[in-house]
Amino acid sequence: MSTVIVGLFNNVSAAAKAARDLQALSLPAGSVTTISAVPLPDGSVVTDPAPVRFPKIVIAGWFVGAAAGLGLTLATYMLYPLVTGGKTIVSVPPTLIITYEVAMLGALLATLFGGGRELGLLRFPPKTIHDPRIHDGKIALCARVEGDDQAGRAIDAMKDAGGIDVRPEEGEL
Amino acid sequence: MKHTWAMAIDLDRCTGCGACVVACGAENNIPVVGEAEAGKNRLMHWIRVNRYWEGEFPEAQAIYLPIPCMQCERAPCELVCPVYATYHNEDGLNAMVYNRCIGTRYCANNCPYSVRAFNWYDYKWEKPLDEQLSPDLTVRSRGVMEKCTFCIQRIRRAKETAAEEGREIRDGEVVPACVQTCPPGAMLFGDLADPHSEITRKLKDPRRFRLMEHLGTEPRVVYLKRQKGAGR
Amino acid sequence: MSAEAPRAGVDHLARTDEAALFERLSRSNLVTTWRWYLGVAAAGAVLLWGLIVFLYMAMTGMGVTGYNRPVFWGLYEASLVFWIGLSHSGTLISAILRLTHADWRAPVLRGAEAMTAFTLMVGGLIPIVHLGRNWRVYYALPYPSSRELWPNMRSPLMWDAMAITTYLLGSLTFLYVGMIPDLALLRDKSAGWRRKFYSALSLGFRGTHAQWRRYHVASTLFAILIIPIAVSVHSIVSWDFAMAKTPGWHSTIFAPYFVVGAIFSGIAGVVIVMAILRKVFRLESVLTPLHFDNLGKLLLTMTLLWGYFYFTEFLTVWYNRNPEEWEVFSSYAGPYLPLFLTMIVCNFVIPFPMLCLKRVRRSISLILVPACSIVIGMYAERLLIVVPSLARRNDPFIWASYFPTWVEFSVMAGAAAMFVLLYMLFAKFFPIMAISDIKERLFHATDRTIGGTTVESIAQVEGEEEARA
Repeated sequence: MSTVIVGLFNNVSAAAKAARDLQALSLPAGSVTTISAVPLPDGSVVTDPAPVRFPKIVIAGWFVGAAAGLGLTLATYMLYPLVTGGKTIVSVPPTLIITYEVAMLGALLATLFGGGRELGLLRFPPKTIHDPRIHDGKIALCARVEGDDQAGRAIDAMKDAGGIDVRPEEGEL
Repeated sequence: MKHTWAMAIDLDRCTGCGACVVACGAENNIPVVGEAEAGKNRLMHWIRVNRYWEGEFPEAQAIYLPIPCMQCERAPCELVCPVYATYHNEDGLNAMVYNRCIGTRYCANNCPYSVRAFNWYDYKWEKPLDEQLSPDLTVRSRGVMEKCTFCIQRIRRAKETAAEEGREIRDGEVVPACVQTCPPGAMLFGDLADPHSEITRKLKDPRRFRLMEHLGTEPRVVYLKRQKGAGR
Repeated sequence: MSAEAPRAGVDHLARTDEAALFERLSRSNLVTTWRWYLGVAAAGAVLLWGLIVFLYMAMTGMGVTGYNRPVFWGLYEASLVFWIGLSHSGTLISAILRLTHADWRAPVLRGAEAMTAFTLMVGGLIPIVHLGRNWRVYYALPYPSSRELWPNMRSPLMWDAMAITTYLLGSLTFLYVGMIPDLALLRDKSAGWRRKFYSALSLGFRGTHAQWRRYHVASTLFAILIIPIAVSVHSIVSWDFAMAKTPGWHSTIFAPYFVVGAIFSGIAGVVIVMAILRKVFRLESVLTPLHFDNLGKLLLTMTLLWGYFYFTEFLTVWYNRNPEEWEVFSSYAGPYLPLFLTMIVCNFVIPFPMLCLKRVRRSISLILVPACSIVIGMYAERLLIVVPSLARRNDPFIWASYFPTWVEFSVMAGAAAMFVLLYMLFAKFFPIMAISDIKERLFHATDRTIGGTTVESIAQVEGEEEARA
């Protein structure tokens, strides 16, 4: 649980000015973020320094799925070797099809769960910071601070830039 | 000993009487569907006698072609069943497993000879007709595919008898119902793996042909071409 | 949208009353009229009827249908292909338009994705309906059983099972993940049981910068994944036919032909659904003639593509006169002439000239004519693929005719009612407009003065390359 200073701004420029002013506080990277109803371009108000990692999980998921599909098909052929239509017991083209389908399924599930995890969804609270007024056209700027001194300076910076209802809250960014 | 069952049908001798159809029906618990269902193309016959007309009146001729299941070496029906309800057994027969069939009917769509029949209803044998049912095979439920099996129950019985007596199956010991009944003796059944069997000798006949060979199904039923000549 | 004088540099979202926009776009969730109840009741009644008739068929036997030897497949299987084909609607609209950054995509996304998910649900149930022993459908699952048998992976029906399962999961995920920001919005704007409902579904999405970045990557990945899955699904459905020895089915062109036909019927379906949504929920300002114009252009392209594939197929058979195939095709001039003419007229003769005209594409009532005609024509096309090839197959002695009975019509009507019911329920409880995407587009839109005129300018935000570090 950290202290987060939250301020609402009427437009992107005001939020951007506040973010610039907050840079003087030299807060660690990733401590300042926006909460908005529409995605803001990276760098317009804040930047996101952390790399997006889950695409690698998706590729891994594809291979896991492919292995599962291949295993399923081969196991089915070998465990129950029945001759059908004069084809060989291990028939290659159907194997390719099933492997491909299960691979895509694996990639899909990896995107769903990997992406969901990296999006920070379904986080068992600690309480996360949120302001429903973002849906009325406001942009919320949140700064995680340590100590009363930093908190005070952050509040001042936001208020000077035109922030509405600037307040400290306890929660996770 | 590995068997290669095959059937030879001599079209010179076939009169189109249809006794094979009746015998097959009696042997294999095949329902009589009735006139209404027959009119809807729902006959359950495992062997049928095709009739084609050649020429115009008054020289019109009928050509009869009995068609049982071809028991294809490369059976297209076996490939497409999603649940392995039909497969190729070690005797080279196309086996049909009734209680595995879920009724997708893809096998029937893939059979170029249209020999497969589907149980559209739970057919009933009103008393006392139920006493004619053979105990050697099941009565199939609705939703299940069925077809000619070369009377596999007779093949099995012959194998059991031969094994009990400690010998091989003799040529002519296994006779499917249609072959047994055919009045002009047009049908012959036997083991091609036996070099001395009657069918091996018969199939050296230059009149031999197989139906729809260009499809690559490699059927085990061989026809002997009808010869045309004076009085035929 | 607003009557204000354009101010250069100010994005359109800033001058939109977001509360009013939300009310307008969420009318389906916020307002319930007696018409909705009536529609749900009617669809539910037809669905119930279809279910009862299906149970009757399951208990009595497939004999109550019009199937026979050799026409073992008919209305059910044609409908299966039809419904799976319709499910290619959302995939094209949503995935391809997302990936190509088509700026008009936003209002169409959600309705199309929902259509995909629900037509696929309907299509996915039909394989169970058409079985002779439906209650044994689980034999097709690979599970260790005392019967010691697993399914036959060489069968195209098993490929169907795998592909449709993957596509269903994929399209449901695609729909759901696409909805998460809108569900978060609905959560923040609602109270009571609705708030709990949307809270659970939105999974705690808030809209932080890091979340949006990753959300964008996730949506893009889903779009990239779903397109090859969709192509493979309908190719595999086509292979149910192409793998068979039946004359008229055994054709290498089937896979791309079916995919094109699916996208074709799918877009027509989207046009119809969008027109209905526009009328019912009064979304005239959101779903503009521009959207229908663009959909109409896509539909025109697909009309031409479909015509091209069909002509190629026909030409090959006509030229070769392979006897088995020729008997099937000449039946199109015989007993199947009405069906054949319906298909040609409804798929090409009506849509092609109409869709060439901008006046038709920009008029909602006019563009519905080719769209409805295409849906009818594609259904006729599916029937024409399934039935004549079986009715006029290899052995002429066994040729038959086929006509569906009241049982088949009832069950298929129930299937259609299921789609309508699912869609109506979805529109009631879930956001039928992609509100976040619409807002995002408004955010990117500004007015730019070029010389003496002012035009709308859309910002293209590139940034995914740095995102994937």
